[in-house]
Amino acid sequence: MQSRVPDTPVLEVSGLSVDYLLDRGAVRAVDDVSFTVSRGEFLGIVGESGCGKSTLLFAVAQLLAPPAMIAAGSVTFDGANLVGLTDGQLSAIRWRDMSVVMQSAMNALNPVKTIGAQFKDAMRAHGKHTSEEVTARSAEVLRMVGIDPVHLRSYPHQLSGGMRQRSMIAMAMLFTPDLVIMDEPTSALDVVAQRSLMVQIKDLQQAFGFAVIFVTHDMSLISHFSDQLMVMYAGQVDELGATRTIFDRPRHPYTQGLLEAFPSIRGPRVPLKGIPGHPPDLSAIPTGCRFHPRCPHALDRCAEVEPDLYPLDDELVRCLRLADGSLSS
Amino acid sequence: MTELLRTEHLTRHFKIGGTMSRRTLHAVDDVSFGINEREIVALAGESGSGKSTIARMLARIYRPTSGEIYFEGKPLSRIRSRRDQLRYSGLVPMVFQDPFGSINPVFRVQHGVLRCLKLHRPELSAKQRLDEAARVFGVVGLNADMLQRFPYELSGGQRQRVGFAQALAMRPKLILADEPVSMLDVSIRIGLLNLMTKLRDEEGVSILYITHDIASARYVADRLVVMYAGQIAETGPIEDVLAHPRHPYTQLLLSAVPDPRAPLSVAAETDRGDPPKVIDPAPGCRFRWRCPLAIDTCAQITPELAELSPGHDAACHVAQTTAEEVKAFS
Repeated sequence: MQSRVPDTPVLEVSGLSVDYLLDRGAVRAVDDVSFTVSRGEFLGIVGESGCGKSTLLFAVAQLLAPPAMIAAGSVTFDGANLVGLTDGQLSAIRWRDMSVVMQSAMNALNPVKTIGAQFKDAMRAHGKHTSEEVTARSAEVLRMVGIDPVHLRSYPHQLSGGMRQRSMIAMAMLFTPDLVIMDEPTSALDVVAQRSLMVQIKDLQQAFGFAVIFVTHDMSLISHFSDQLMVMYAGQVDELGATRTIFDRPRHPYTQGLLEAFPSIRGPRVPLKGIPGHPPDLSAIPTGCRFHPRCPHALDRCAEVEPDLYPLDDELVRCLRLADGSLSS
Repeated sequence: MTELLRTEHLTRHFKIGGTMSRRTLHAVDDVSFGINEREIVALAGESGSGKSTIARMLARIYRPTSGEIYFEGKPLSRIRSRRDQLRYSGLVPMVFQDPFGSINPVFRVQHGVLRCLKLHRPELSAKQRLDEAARVFGVVGLNADMLQRFPYELSGGQRQRVGFAQALAMRPKLILADEPVSMLDVSIRIGLLNLMTKLRDEEGVSILYITHDIASARYVADRLVVMYAGQIAETGPIEDVLAHPRHPYTQLLLSAVPDPRAPLSVAAETDRGDPPKVIDPAPGCRFRWRCPLAIDTCAQITPELAELSPGHDAACHVAQTTAEEVKAFS
């Protein structure tokens, strides 16, 4: 289920760094992250809690609030750099061209307003529409995600978790945006609802051609849905490349460990090891390679030299062993 | 294999709405299953299927509305004295889902372990209690010096190990583990799952592993109980159930598990994943609205569990009438 990937980039993130300014000093949560999303492309971002993936999304959507701030880098969306724009300037882009689906629809929807009223708010805030237009469009987007438009009069608590999550996605579709940013939209759902939502997102994406940035901690979830995959560890990109390639041949030891951490429901039952240790605290990052204390292949110099992202075939991998060709494909 | 615990027609209903409301939520309905010694039983199902309610009844937090739980052959409803009550909760402790909320943050982590020991094993001296705490910490893979730490100094995985150490200190027969790994990062989940199999193999403890993650259930469990809408849909040896799922809900569940190594199956697309209605349910199969195999009988008679192959039961009219495996979703 790979969608076509035309070449025009809709989003270019380059050298993006985000700091949290705390009393004890700045903590860098996102460190020098660069990537490109083409029109109609599905980019998956995976990593464990605290790896900076949600902070990165918020930085891309310009939703960071103090103490977080963008320390360096640019976010170019449809040709314009969003970093440094005022709220008024951003308002013209937000929701019309770029929308966000938050992690927990339970908290992201207003519990005391009907779904229809919340759709109306979004449409009124970003354009002039008659009430007929608002009603017609709201009903249309709800139907697109497979919910009966009678639920425009429902309150969030009257809907199931899956329906709430789907109405959030419907809301993001109100203006047929170029880019939809999703922060773990399926994490509160069980596997059956999760699968049906993923298929739905992919169908909508193929029908309307918007690009998706999808953040999750569950690598297996997006294996069949994303075109590009970015693996993050401790605020940095560890591996970036085509999803299928990474799943078939993970290069970075962390990616390999993540993939081996999932038991399978098919095939022989094999003992798994997982990854020893735990992700680092971002205020006390290990020297050299940030993954070296947990890495089964760590060399002496891994503790001293900080690895760059090295190009390898069509991928980027942050691992010293791959830098000098000591471990080729 | 000796049976350690057995539930007979276990049922728990909750009244909902205001005082005048007659509506009842059937959280658990007529559930009968057993757990043997040295066995890990996985209790799987979607949220709201009654998994945690069962665990809470087994831990005597909720009283059953009807039905009975037998532990080592004796009914729990007969427990009257505080001594028996204490003895039971020591033999069947619980490990909770949230490692951040289940340890008191103002005490060192040894506090909980030492208290459990003092309460449940009063014969030990203070020195012996400390030694025993160090021993159980060792078993769960923590250094003895961790005993002196505060919870905030530990990672999620370490805290969850503290939870298991605390349970282990009471010399349990059965640990009720309610989603013990779902809040942990994927890279450290496996370590906890390996710990559970180690406790079974080396300490001889049985575990009721409550989860919605079938793949992790397969990794640790010997038997699987699949719940749907408060009832058991299917139960049996886990490899047998996963290889030959007989209930359409189990088939749907298995088809939805993301597996990067397998090609994408698209059958689940037609299913919206809407939860079943368990408020004042009428007779009939609770899965029938989502089931592509549903026949007229399904709307009239609630299916009961019947053995379809050795030790493998399913509550499905269609599966019971046809000898072969019928695939609704695959």
